[in-house]
Amino acid sequence: MKIRYLFIPVFLCMLAACGRSSAATQGASLSLASFTENYVGVSILLEGNDKGEYFLSATFIPPDGYHLYSKDIPLNGVEGLGRPTLLELTEYSQLHALGILTESVKTMEPNFEPKELLVYPSGAVTLSLPVELPAADTWLNDAVKITFMACSESTCKPPVTGKIVSIRIPGVDVYK
Amino acid sequence: MNKIFIFLLAGFSVLACNFLFPQKASPTLNPEISSSENEQILELAELTIVRLHRQAGDLQAMLADESKKAAALGQMPVVEFDATWCPPCLAIDSAIEARNELMLSAYGGTYIIKLDVDEWGWNNGQVENFRFDAIPVYFKLDADGNQTSEVIDGGAWGEDIPENIAPVMDEFFHSGNQ
Repeated sequence: MKIRYLFIPVFLCMLAACGRSSAATQGASLSLASFTENYVGVSILLEGNDKGEYFLSATFIPPDGYHLYSKDIPLNGVEGLGRPTLLELTEYSQLHALGILTESVKTMEPNFEPKELLVYPSGAVTLSLPVELPAADTWLNDAVKITFMACSESTCKPPVTGKIVSIRIPGVDVYK
Repeated sequence: MNKIFIFLLAGFSVLACNFLFPQKASPTLNPEISSSENEQILELAELTIVRLHRQAGDLQAMLADESKKAAALGQMPVVEFDATWCPPCLAIDSAIEARNELMLSAYGGTYIIKLDVDEWGWNNGQVENFRFDAIPVYFKLDADGNQTSEVIDGGAWGEDIPENIAPVMDEFFHSGNQ
């Protein structure tokens, strides 16, 4: 009787393992790369949904009390101040952008000048880009470009600008 | 006749104002990275600010030289690392440029030696033999231009306003070993 009950968690574990093995399929996410640089953790994912759409996303996690800057400020900052938070495809990427980069949280005006230097609230930010996977039935080498800079109200970590991060992406036919 | 007199009087007044109160070029605390000459940015009775440039020579030799100049003025030599992209660094500069009384009082008696991290190369949390993980950051120097153990960065205060910065920096500069 008791042995029968033991099968339940084992069955659940097997079910979870099955789910993980198909994590890259539609409706789930696939971790492509992660790193920490200048005290900011960055995780890059490929996410799919039930409609067959794919999204390349990057989650930026600054240290406690630190914020990141809007994806929409210029690459060289506003009046030279700050640096944008960006997830970009490289020039020769086999991924094709199908839309614009979106952000998980709204920006706000800083409490100092220049007010155009929009910031995200302190904490993590996820940027997401709808993409089309390349027509292939294998995994391919690719790369993305990452930019960010973290500051608190009174101190800044050094910026990371245009860091090339290697990733391996599935062709669209891998999941057919 | 009266109009001519008024015009002449107005013109004379402008000339007299310019002669009596000549306008000085406003100093800026921002770096000019391409410069090969070190710059004296600000010199008040109690506060001197200079910026050292990499092309001007060896850092340790320059720090020793600047520390001697500080001693001659009776001021304490302090290295400050900053960058053009750093809003908190700009907030401090702006408050000093605006002659904020709290800031001038806190920074009084110091000889600030500014170094831009982009110019000097901030790699793996280190510029030359200075180690730090955020800016702005201040290192007190001894009379020979060597680092002491006293260091403070922007994390020591909250929002970047003189009311927060000045008391912390006042204590850092004016109490302790020096």
